Amino acid sequence: MLKQISAAGVLVAAMAPPAMAQDSEPLVAGVEAAFPPWAYVEGGEYKGIAIDAMRAIAEDQGLTVEFKDLPWPSLIPALAKGRIDLLVTGLNVTEERAKVLDFSIPWWENDDEVLVTEDSDKNVVTALCCGATVGAQGGATQHEWLQEHLVDQGVDVTLRAYEDYITAVEDLGTGRLDAVVTSTDTAEELIDKGRAIKIVGTIQQNQPQALAVQEGDPNELLAQLNVGIMNIYQSGQWAEIVHAYSPQASIRTIPTAMPDYVDSYQRPIPGYSE
Amino acid sequence: MIWQTLYENLPFLLHGTWIALQLLAALLAVGIVLGLGLALGQVYGPWPLRAVGWAFERVFRGVPAVVLLLLFYYGVTDYVALSSFMAAVLALGLRSAAYQSQIYRGAIQSVPSGQMQAARAIGMGRWESIRTIILPQAARHAIGPWTNEFSSELKATSLAYVIGVVELTRQAKYIVSNTQGNILIVFGVVALIYFIVNRLGNSVLYRVEARLAVPGFERRSQ
Repeated sequence: MLKQISAAGVLVAAMAPPAMAQDSEPLVAGVEAAFPPWAYVEGGEYKGIAIDAMRAIAEDQGLTVEFKDLPWPSLIPALAKGRIDLLVTGLNVTEERAKVLDFSIPWWENDDEVLVTEDSDKNVVTALCCGATVGAQGGATQHEWLQEHLVDQGVDVTLRAYEDYITAVEDLGTGRLDAVVTSTDTAEELIDKGRAIKIVGTIQQNQPQALAVQEGDPNELLAQLNVGIMNIYQSGQWAEIVHAYSPQASIRTIPTAMPDYVDSYQRPIPGYSE
Repeated sequence: MIWQTLYENLPFLLHGTWIALQLLAALLAVGIVLGLGLALGQVYGPWPLRAVGWAFERVFRGVPAVVLLLLFYYGVTDYVALSSFMAAVLALGLRSAAYQSQIYRGAIQSVPSGQMQAARAIGMGRWESIRTIILPQAARHAIGPWTNEFSSELKATSLAYVIGVVELTRQAKYIVSNTQGNILIVFGVVALIYFIVNRLGNSVLYRVEARLAVPGFERRSQ
């Protein structure tokens, strides 16, 4: 037995170093690879709008990027701590996040959708009041919105946070939740994949999404990212990528609305307005 | 449909299983070496060593595995560059060392103290007695409880995805998110894989235990 174990230990020791060898130092892009259509893994490969767009930007700007998958609640802390160099996913631009990281110019806008089961008789009002139990992805903008605009206002709802929205939708199916709030992209993706749910209402947010780097942009990546985003947008590559994953989506003008609360949008934006 | 998807994704589930097994082997190796050292220190060492062993064991047994993983990935890596995998090996390995030290301590103490006296009486040194008389018997006593440690650490590897180790559980999550559901079926299959690996490992260990049992201490009748 001891021989077997030590053999396995040697094997592991021999296999571990390549993961740490970082001679060429590629940029590490953190993704939550469980978030289609933005980022996911299929057939052992990273796929999705954000992934393909990032690859196109990297090619355009001569960057080497490797992706690292972390669960959603870990992504922003990992970026703030420098475990990853940039964050590439369907990341919403928010005031809170603007304090701990720097956003690229926004490339997408999203609204939120109120989802109930197909056979539910709840409407947009009853799904979000009067004792309803509502689920959202913890740490996501939908969860914050529900907390701030319903729970904190004294509306009679129970808000539940989930590590990912899929478990939330699963709980909707089992009847533990009355409604789930997700972004429009996610809702459309879920319905597209045949989940027995329907949209009963849209919360218009015009929520911009962007890439993000560490606060203060220590690796000076923002300029290249912004130029890259504009280049793939203007060349039509961006539209191709988006439509490959989400054929009905309408392409927003880039940059989309840039909220006042993002400090880095108030200064000259590297690679865009300087 | 989902079965088709699962069939197509089987190589990736197996790859995830392979990563989990590497993590398991590495963390158990850390646990064996350090755990044995701690146990020897706790039984035979001078009081400072006993105190260190005691404190180490209390801390690492008293903190949840997920919290340790996060502490090592976000905290320790500020000072030492560690990949996700190595951070997981350390966090879970040190925790396993704390548990294993108690297995070995118990096993060492279960060897009757008269044997040490007898060994010394025929002129063996203290270390020589430990090495040639006590440890060979203690190691054999330890196999049974160690089987339990093997099982719980195999299951603990499924937590490593929180710091970005793409092991079996994370691979399963990919399938769930690609198909936007099927949680029960996918995790049912994953449960089966963990069960099979656990069962295989245990049956090997049971056999080893039966073969190496110290005469008079045979327990399992299989």
